[in-house]
Amino acid sequence: MLAQLISDILDLLGPRYGYGSVYLTGVRNTLILALAATAIGCVIGFICGILRTIPVAKTDGAFKKFIVGLVKAIVRIYVEVFRGTPMILQAVFVYYGLPYFSHQQLQFTGMWSVALVVVSINTGAYMAESVRGGILSIDIGQTEGAKAIGMTHIQTMTSVILPQALRNIIPQIGNNLIINIKDTSVMFIIGFLDFFAVHKMAAGATFKYFPSAVLEMCVYLCMTLLASFLLRVLERKMDGSDSYELVSDDQLVMSAGTYNSPRKGSPFDEKSKEFGGRKLAMPEENTAGGENDAR
Amino acid sequence: MQDRILEIKHLSKSFGSHEVLKDIDFTVNTGDVTSIIGASGSGKSTLLRCVNLLETPTSGEILYHGEDVTKGVNQNSYRAKVGMVFQSFNLFNNMSVLKNCMVGQQKVLKRSADEAEAEALKYLEKVGMKPYINAKPRQISGGQKQRVAIARALAMSPEILLFDEPTSALDPEMVGEVLAVMRSLAEEGMTMLVVTHEMAFARDVSNHVVFMADGVILEQGVPADIFSNPKEQRTREFLARVL
Repeated sequence: MLAQLISDILDLLGPRYGYGSVYLTGVRNTLILALAATAIGCVIGFICGILRTIPVAKTDGAFKKFIVGLVKAIVRIYVEVFRGTPMILQAVFVYYGLPYFSHQQLQFTGMWSVALVVVSINTGAYMAESVRGGILSIDIGQTEGAKAIGMTHIQTMTSVILPQALRNIIPQIGNNLIINIKDTSVMFIIGFLDFFAVHKMAAGATFKYFPSAVLEMCVYLCMTLLASFLLRVLERKMDGSDSYELVSDDQLVMSAGTYNSPRKGSPFDEKSKEFGGRKLAMPEENTAGGENDAR
Repeated sequence: MQDRILEIKHLSKSFGSHEVLKDIDFTVNTGDVTSIIGASGSGKSTLLRCVNLLETPTSGEILYHGEDVTKGVNQNSYRAKVGMVFQSFNLFNNMSVLKNCMVGQQKVLKRSADEAEAEALKYLEKVGMKPYINAKPRQISGGQKQRVAIARALAMSPEILLFDEPTSALDPEMVGEVLAVMRSLAEEGMTMLVVTHEMAFARDVSNHVVFMADGVILEQGVPADIFSNPKEQRTREFLARVL
């Protein structure tokens, strides 16, 4: 059975039917669309998330209150509409809606632009909420610490809050990337040749539905596993090193700090008590020797 | 005649219908170390947060060199001159110790990176945290965090430093290292306004003590008078409990 399946899949890819390169094109299109749309969606999400967290004080003028309120309402409507309707319908809506309302004057020229716009806007709507959550998750003390040294709201956001919020929502960005890799498959509705569209095409022509589906499943899983692996690497990189180096101009102080937990007494104590006198008496003795004696 | 840095006049603050501060009046002169003492919930921290405009006063004036700062005229440049040290440290978790002390200088005071680093190192050395400049806040102890927070505030060259219960979140053994830093600052003539539960610090280091209860200043004066000769019954009771 398994041998039969493998030979069927090889037939699909190989010279018999020759769909190998088409499948590859599908993988390429899916990956490019998912990555680009996730990136653009993150930018949209960040902008919307920031707009939704603008603070309004009671003392602010009526005009500012009105503008901020209006912007927040628009963002809210955008988020609710695009989160609340199926992406497959949004694609139809954008693709056929534009010529419909412009009396066939305006039309998207390629599938790429429609697909990119729809998936990005959709991702942006989800990311807006994730970013808002990320910003709210940062302790109020961080904001107060920044305000207390005189930073403006924008400086506080860009230097202190957003870098921390970004770290906290990396898992959400990963979620969205993986969802996009899979869900871009609904773009077949407007004729976009993603990986799933290749399956419909190849299986329709060869009637090898099951072998093609098995192939698709495996490759989709590989793509998503790769994505989550890369994101975990990114996360670890953002966290930085678990350890840190002590810095000092004085070699003696530096080595004294490293052989013992830095919390136990300050390095300066060791300098005066254990090393001070000896250093004066025997200036040629190196720090390693002093360290051994101290133990 | 000493120079008046801060004059608080008829300051009141309400949260909803709850009146936390009622008609507060006091003055801070250059070089003063003023301790604000009193029971929890008496409004000490709220008063300090009002001085730094982290809370907007409901009414009253805060005069900084004679100019009222509550009316929203350039709050940020005022805050840059009034350093604040928090109970919960509030170091920026995404930056190293050194960067924590540099970011405000660069963004707010527009100092160059080299200048900001030199200033930061100067004050980190002063608080004994120079060896740890590459550490992240999560990697150092509470007492060390608070010393970095003090260095961060000092690096902004403030005219006055506000301390909001700087040792309340620390283990007893770490309280000493932070108080030692504060004591040396006081000796160098730094103007300080300290909300504290450390009565020894209030008595020995400060030259002015303010006792608060239920949102009003019940008594203020030199430490010797407040601690050995309190006039009010409430002050006597409070001191009997904590000393």
